[in-house]
Amino acid sequence: MPQLLRVRPTKIELIRLRRRLKTAKRLHKVLKDRLIILSQELIDTVKEAADLRESINERLVQCLTRYIDATASSTAAEIEEYATSRYEEASVVLGTRAVAGIRVPVAELERVERRIAAERFSAALIRVGACFDEIMEDVLRLGELEASIALMGREVSRVKRRVNALENILIPRMEATIRYLRMKFEEREREDKMRLKKVKELLQKRAGSSEGR
Amino acid sequence: MRGDEFEKYLSHELRVVNRSLPRVRKSLKTLLEERYPHVPTRDGGAHMFRKRELIAAAEVLGDEAEELLLPIVLEFQVSAERTYAVVRDPVAAKLIARILGLPEETPIFVYPVQLRELRRRVGSLITYAFLP
Repeated sequence: MPQLLRVRPTKIELIRLRRRLKTAKRLHKVLKDRLIILSQELIDTVKEAADLRESINERLVQCLTRYIDATASSTAAEIEEYATSRYEEASVVLGTRAVAGIRVPVAELERVERRIAAERFSAALIRVGACFDEIMEDVLRLGELEASIALMGREVSRVKRRVNALENILIPRMEATIRYLRMKFEEREREDKMRLKKVKELLQKRAGSSEGR
Repeated sequence: MRGDEFEKYLSHELRVVNRSLPRVRKSLKTLLEERYPHVPTRDGGAHMFRKRELIAAAEVLGDEAEELLLPIVLEFQVSAERTYAVVRDPVAAKLIARILGLPEETPIFVYPVQLRELRRRVGSLITYAFLP
């Protein structure tokens, strides 16, 4: 049985307690809804991050194999020139988006390609470039997802603690105290009735005995 | 916890969950023209949109894309028994209905299981509001 709250057994206290219980239930619903959304988002993000990491690892192996092939037809200087001259500009735009009260990062890759004479480089080297290009965007996305997981995980555990405290401790205690107060008042009412009955009987008895005299 | 503390905590929690609601909403057309598509939020921050999701939404809506105001606000009614979200904007409701394969009606009701698909396709275009 849940513990009782320490309150004075008065009707005012019962009314107050009922009001508190109503508020606590609303708060519980807000937190629970938020927990549902955050947990779902967290699970999806974890799944997506795991899949993406696996796919990045697989493609990295492919890209490195292609890179080894490319080194057979290009010199180190050519590879370096190709790697450093492909983009005019490459930047990452970092922002945030809001998910049920928390901010998670959003990252977008912006690249401005440079016109280069493709015939100067081997086809194998160009394939390596394309392969790493694809991975770069996914690596950025993976970073975004992993940062989101950490933020969402922390919030989920915080909200979960509060939901559990309300669900298993505070609300049951309030309900038990309300039940206890109700029983106490009913008992008091019964006692009052009994007392009144006794007084009535006593008065009737007295009236009867004074008439007899 | 005292009664007034509960009230305080409830309003604090509602403030926390709703603090990142947009201060203004922008049309999809405006956002597509911006270099960094975003809207300011109530807490002074910004909600950023993914460009590819904006383009995807424009493709789904076709001619009506210009009328879509973003982000789409999914309203959760705290007083309701079950957990579900309501979308009242007719264009946004149309977009959601097409993504989820639901009949096109306004308002549209979205249940937590359906949110997964929505997040996958247009995650940065939606935001949640909790109504007391």
